[in-house]
Amino acid sequence: MQEGRILSTREINRDLLRSILESPRWFWPVVAVLGLILLVASIAIGIMVNRGLGVTGLNRPVAWGFFITNFVFWIGISHAGVMLSAILRLAKAEWRRPATRAAEVLTLFSLMTAMIMPIVHTGRPWRILYWVFPYDFARGIWPNIRTPLVWDPSAILTYLTSSTLFVIIALVPDFAVLRDHTTGVAHRVYTLLAMGWEGNARQWKLQIIAGVLLSALILPVFVSVHSIVSWDFGMAVAVKTWHSTVFAPYFVVGAVHSGVSAVAFVLILLRWCYGWQDYIRHEHIDALGRLLIVVATGWFYFLVMELLFGMYGREADELAVRALQFTSWPYNAWFIVFVVTTYFIPVALWLSRAWRRNLWIMSIACISVNIGMWLERFLIIVPGLVNKQVFTFTWADYAPSPFEIIIVGATFALVTMLMLLFSRVFPLVPLYDVKEGDILKTEVQIGRRTVPATFRED
Amino acid sequence: MVTSRVDHKWGMVVDLDRCNGCQACVVACQVENNLPINDKNAFLQSRAYEWIRIERYWEGEYPNIKARFIPVLCQHCENAPCEPVCPVYATYHNDDGLNVQLYNRCVGTRYCINNCPYQVRFFNYWQPNWPERLQNQLNPDVSVRTRGITEKCTFCIQRLRRAELKVERQGGGKLNDTTLKAGNYMPACVQACPTNALVFGDQNDVQSPIQPYFDDVNRYDVHHEHERKTRGYRLLEEMNTKPNLIYLKKVEPNSVKGEHHG
Amino acid sequence: MKLTRRNFLAWAGLSAVGAVACDVIQEEELILQSPRDLPEDLVKGRDNWYATLGRQATGGDGVIVRVMEGRAKKIQGNPKYPVNLGKQSVRTEGGLQALYHPDRISGPLLRTGPRGSGQFRAIEWEPEALDILKRELRARGQGMVLITEPLRGHLGMIAERFADALGGKHLGFETLDDTTYRAAVKEVFGQDLLPDFDIANANYVLSFGADFLSTWGSSTRLSTAYGEFRQGIGRERRGTLVQVDPRFSLTAANADQWLPIKPGMEGYLALSLAYVIISEGLQASGADIDRLTDGQGAAILNAYNPETVAPLLELPAQLHQGKSAADFIRELARNFAGHHPCIAIGGDSAGAHTNGFFNLQAIYVLNYLVGSVGEKGGIRFNPGSPISVLPAFAKVGSLQDWVEVANDIRSGHTRLALIHEADPVHGLPASVGFAGALDRDDLFIVSFSPFLDETSIMADLVLPDRVFLEDWGSDIPEPGPGYQVIGMQQPVVNPLSDLNPRSFGDLLLSMAQELGRETTLPWSGVEAALKESVEALYNLGQGTSTLVDSAGALWNLMLQQGGWWNEDATGPKPGVPAGLLNRITAQGNEPGFAGSGDFYLLPFAHNSLLDGRNAHLPWMQAAPDPITTVTWQTWVEVNSRRAAELNLREGDVVRVESAAGSITALVYPNPALPPDVVAVPLGQGRRNGSHYASGGDRRESSNVIDLLSSDTTNRTETGALAWAGNRVRVVATGESIRVSKFEGIFPAREIAITAGEEIIKVTDH
Ligand SMILES: Nc1nc2c(c(=O)[nH]1)N[C@H]1C(S)=C(S)[C@@H](COP(=O)(O)OP(=O)(O)OC[C@H]3O[C@@H](n4cnc5c(=O)[nH]c(N)nc54)[C@H](O)[C@@H]3O)O[C@H]1N2
Ligand SMILES: Nc1nc2c(c(=O)[nH]1)N[C@H]1C(S)=C(S)[C@@H](COP(=O)(O)OP(=O)(O)OC[C@H]3O[C@@H](n4cnc5c(=O)[nH]c(N)nc54)[C@H](O)[C@@H]3O)O[C@H]1N2
Ligand code: SF4
Ligand code: SF4
Ligand code: SF4
Ligand code: SF4
Repeated sequence: MQEGRILSTREINRDLLRSILESPRWFWPVVAVLGLILLVASIAIGIMVNRGLGVTGLNRPVAWGFFITNFVFWIGISHAGVMLSAILRLAKAEWRRPATRAAEVLTLFSLMTAMIMPIVHTGRPWRILYWVFPYDFARGIWPNIRTPLVWDPSAILTYLTSSTLFVIIALVPDFAVLRDHTTGVAHRVYTLLAMGWEGNARQWKLQIIAGVLLSALILPVFVSVHSIVSWDFGMAVAVKTWHSTVFAPYFVVGAVHSGVSAVAFVLILLRWCYGWQDYIRHEHIDALGRLLIVVATGWFYFLVMELLFGMYGREADELAVRALQFTSWPYNAWFIVFVVTTYFIPVALWLSRAWRRNLWIMSIACISVNIGMWLERFLIIVPGLVNKQVFTFTWADYAPSPFEIIIVGATFALVTMLMLLFSRVFPLVPLYDVKEGDILKTEVQIGRRTVPATFRED
Repeated sequence: MVTSRVDHKWGMVVDLDRCNGCQACVVACQVENNLPINDKNAFLQSRAYEWIRIERYWEGEYPNIKARFIPVLCQHCENAPCEPVCPVYATYHNDDGLNVQLYNRCVGTRYCINNCPYQVRFFNYWQPNWPERLQNQLNPDVSVRTRGITEKCTFCIQRLRRAELKVERQGGGKLNDTTLKAGNYMPACVQACPTNALVFGDQNDVQSPIQPYFDDVNRYDVHHEHERKTRGYRLLEEMNTKPNLIYLKKVEPNSVKGEHHG
Repeated sequence: MKLTRRNFLAWAGLSAVGAVACDVIQEEELILQSPRDLPEDLVKGRDNWYATLGRQATGGDGVIVRVMEGRAKKIQGNPKYPVNLGKQSVRTEGGLQALYHPDRISGPLLRTGPRGSGQFRAIEWEPEALDILKRELRARGQGMVLITEPLRGHLGMIAERFADALGGKHLGFETLDDTTYRAAVKEVFGQDLLPDFDIANANYVLSFGADFLSTWGSSTRLSTAYGEFRQGIGRERRGTLVQVDPRFSLTAANADQWLPIKPGMEGYLALSLAYVIISEGLQASGADIDRLTDGQGAAILNAYNPETVAPLLELPAQLHQGKSAADFIRELARNFAGHHPCIAIGGDSAGAHTNGFFNLQAIYVLNYLVGSVGEKGGIRFNPGSPISVLPAFAKVGSLQDWVEVANDIRSGHTRLALIHEADPVHGLPASVGFAGALDRDDLFIVSFSPFLDETSIMADLVLPDRVFLEDWGSDIPEPGPGYQVIGMQQPVVNPLSDLNPRSFGDLLLSMAQELGRETTLPWSGVEAALKESVEALYNLGQGTSTLVDSAGALWNLMLQQGGWWNEDATGPKPGVPAGLLNRITAQGNEPGFAGSGDFYLLPFAHNSLLDGRNAHLPWMQAAPDPITTVTWQTWVEVNSRRAAELNLREGDVVRVESAAGSITALVYPNPALPPDVVAVPLGQGRRNGSHYASGGDRRESSNVIDLLSSDTTNRTETGALAWAGNRVRVVATGESIRVSKFEGIFPAREIAITAGEEIIKVTDH
């Protein structure tokens, strides 16, 4: 049973299409600022590619740093979309409805952003062709399928494709609505995208089945993607703290943790920006909060296991890295911040029903989680390299250069900008899904039997 | 390209009891293999290139203190962790069992650098450059690397190829153990080393001076180290990278640490 | 609104793309490369290896040089050359960078600005440069001074004769000169030539200060011997090396035991060992104690009995836990004398104190006691030159001589200075006032250096010489391998077209002709002189000469194998000089130190830069110091505990102040240095010439020579500079610079199972 008033279709269309049909005053200034940040970052990248990676803080033995950290972070964020849409859809969780679209879109954009990182971090990005695509068989240049660096792109591209399909399927009915509300060029474009949607029973049926099928198919992909990303580290035998067996599940849960938090935050933002109080309602955020308590605790278990196993082997070089993480500045400070922000602060906040329904507190909790999760990746990747192996003679520290900081910072601007621009052209809260959800609350009497107004997803 | 190859299994023995840390091998390698000049920043940024390096370890306290020198170069692992992780096969095992680096192909992911337990892979963070006139010295047999790629010790493969050509020209047929012993092929660092701490040879050659050490170490694995008859061991043996280098332990009459279990 | 949006998007997009595309792809990326083949697999063209001599290294190694298409590519040890047997030192390859150095002087220069300003005008060799040279030689030849690097072989002979012929004098310059060592060898063994040490066959080496694994003596040769000494095939026991040294030198680092003795007390320890050996009758069977001591035996050494000497040595108590310092000395004596064959070596700082001459004599006399003089596994002496015309050792000036040269210039007696490959302005203590002496208008200075340095910048006329890879020459290596060797130096490449140097030797010879001195210098060029000597060698009919049947064939063979040698012509086995010990004990005196201050200053020759002669070669600058791994900078080693007490951290800029002056350097806390000693390497602190040598921040590039007091109280008994006899204060400046060292930022000590520990294996001895 859901709360909130029942809205007429006209209302829904008016509200949810507001973001597209007229743009709020703050919109373009914000986009402009973001664009400026991106411009600076692209110049930084230009210089970096031209001069060489010397402009970063990387060295020997710390050959991976901020870029890879950020890559893993965005992959993590991307896990929210499918997590919510697919699982909740299969689980028929009613409250999911307004959240799904924003979640899925966030998946797409964070995936795209994540993919930028490993490319700019390579020494010769323009030669990526060599490995992602075996472009010339005659000369025998096949990619090396034994390396996680080839598993990565395959997994991520698969995930990207399926998520895109997922989004489009869900969008078709809304395209139709948009088609009916626009004129001129926009009208023609939406007509094309709507693919002749009329909303008849057969189309609805196919659309819903497609959605359910995709949900089921996409779940294994979503689990595999972050497992494979984790193997970039798990398979690296030479770096003690990377070569951990628990990484795959640990990373997946971590990803869900940060991803769902991110989605919750985005929803709160949308509600605030476009005044969608009637669609993104407190009970939605509440539900996400409750889900997050479970996810966070699961993640915390893995964290403890990871450290426990690390210690258990009692190998001097592994202990040396742990010592670096726990005892030596600045890593020890970051480590405390990481654990507190990722688990204790948010969970403490989520435990109270009242706070779960307080959007400000919720936002703080969700941001806190993602600060922590970014640090988690950093604290996994860098210390393991700083104290690499037993050759204490060559141990060297790492500090990011302005270039790395700018480029990493810009990825956040990029995702935000893409989300905003998207909200300009497509509804970020699925019209039909919401309508459907409301319609389902109304039932019709036929003789003695009560039948739903429309058939349900099953 | 030399077509016909004899089955060699190149290997090196590093006698830590001979090495005196003089650095001659380091410079010899830099000269032979066109290593970029390490300016002050290379050291300040800990990005200096030394395909072979001398690690200095302190042991004990003044006045009973010792400095220990270990030459570390690519171990040419049979089971090289750097190889499977390279997406483009830029680093691979060649016909002679060397771990070689194909600079043209490297895209600079630096994964191999992370996955090399011995830290002997070097990334070109900047474009290497030499003053106009110094370029006359560059070895034409060795590619000059560009920025954004990884480089490493190749066991001086270009010298191996020259040796094969030379032997073939001399009508000696293929490079074989005898022609090898005639001093036709020696890596630059081995040739330079004044104390003969570095010995190079063919593990397939029964007469090779490195043979007894490889036999011994191969016979008794890391778990039976104490049964070994020689001072031989492999670096990070427990990682099972199966290096083609063997180290001979330093002999320490009056150790400042007392008896060592090894 | 719409319009602005479109503009904005277009603008943002375009500039972003532009930024990324801004000549991102550099030219070499566009070169078509084979993604399949390893370029190293496809070596093309022929290369040739030419034998010649390596001038970059000390002790005169023979090298072979790889030449392809007229360019020298690689230098490495000449396998046939008796001194270094195909091996080399860290310095050997430097010659290549000297050859192709960007800062080489391309042609003759004439001073235009004030002296030392570095303002020169390029002039032509013919006629201008040569006319000036001729004019000045005519006008000022009488009393002129010819300053060169230590020269042996033909160039040494030519320089010597040239100076004589013009009524001037020739002096070889060396920053850390070996005059005291040479005098001690003369006194103890009656030999003019420095000996060779048969470490390879020794069982026990007791070295006092001599850093023979790094820079002292024929270090390449001795390193090879050291390898055999440790693990030589067919040795029944591993040699034991004990280093008595107030500084933790590379040799100390490799020693089985390091004895940080009080600076300058080496002689006392040596005589104390002699006392124990004689009084306990540990001497070798053949040792003639009576003759050594005029029949007085151990009595003559009573003053040096362990009880008396032990307290003076200030050996750290931790060294002899359990036993008394005196017993420790006794044990050392027993070990030394008990491991035949054994050698006592002395050099470097041991001989550079006010009592350095005494120290070295006291050390070397030990070899008589243990019977290793002229024996296998002992000290072997070198025969003279096979042909009389060639000097077998270089004439090197001691501090005394340089003070005289400076005075001659000031007094106007010397009005012309010819300087070749020597940098006395950088290498002599400021207090000698050599730079001041050169800076006189009535003095004309001709430099033949291919590079500008502190001295050649003072020249009126610079006539750049060819570097050794471009020139003829010869060498009688010193210390030699124990038999007669003449090394052959041939040009392996021609100078690059944009360079126009002229051979120093040829120049002197042609000048001699012009000035009518052909009686003493009859040759048209160095090559001609070499040919004549080869003729003489052939007629000698010994060694290499026996392998060929004509002088021409010998010439070719010598070019091929890099020289001439005769393993049968070995050096003498000196007899015991009567009453030697009496004389030495009589000289016994403790070292004096210039200046006050709580640290002894121990300067030392840089492993790759030496005294600074290699400072312009980037490879040499970038070669890490073996102990500290520091590069490109001047550091001062301070005991790490002491540094902590004085709260000096690595990289702190400190001012080191002595009686003579003060320099700045970066602190390197060294866990293995006596608390009352600071050590500073030579080599940096150049202010003129190549930017590789002089580019450094002044705070991190200093010349330690400036700290050395040169007043008469601070000389060895032979008049050489007592460069180890200074006390200094270390004052923090508050500034700090990162040390450009190769080791990582964490202290390289072992964590439980590191490579560091893995390499240690204890065996009972
Ligand atoms: N020393 C030691 N030994 C262990 C363990 C240990 O901890 N220490 N762990 C044990 C444990 S827990 C396990 S699970 C086992 C794992 O042992 P294995 O099951 O052997 O594990 P893998 O080598 O990962 O997989 C086996 C093969 O499956 C192939 N493969 C991959 N994908 C597919 C596919 O889609 N289809 C098919 N047909 N093949 C595919 C892989 O290429 C590989 O060759 O190892 C056990 N052995
Ligand atoms: N990188 C990587 N990750 C993997 C896999 C992989 O092949 N590579 N395989 C996956 C698979 S199939 C599995 S089953 C899991 C296995 O994951 P894990 O259970 O972590 O397997 P291990 O790493 O073999 O063992 C973990 C720790 O147990 C310690 N240990 C050994 N003996 C004992 C004991 O008697 N008692 C206790 N308490 N501890 C002990 C070991 O020292 C080790 O540190 O990893 C999965 N993840
Ligand atoms: S030592 Fe490192 S680089 Fe060399 S083969 Fe082994 S893993 Fe590869
Ligand atoms: S850095 Fe080059 S060699 Fe190393 S893994 Fe990446 S592509 Fe391969
Ligand atoms: S084998 Fe050749 S490449 Fe390798 S370290 Fe020695 S000299 Fe350098
Ligand atoms: S050259 Fe030989 S002795 Fe010198 S550091 Fe290298 S390995 Fe050691």
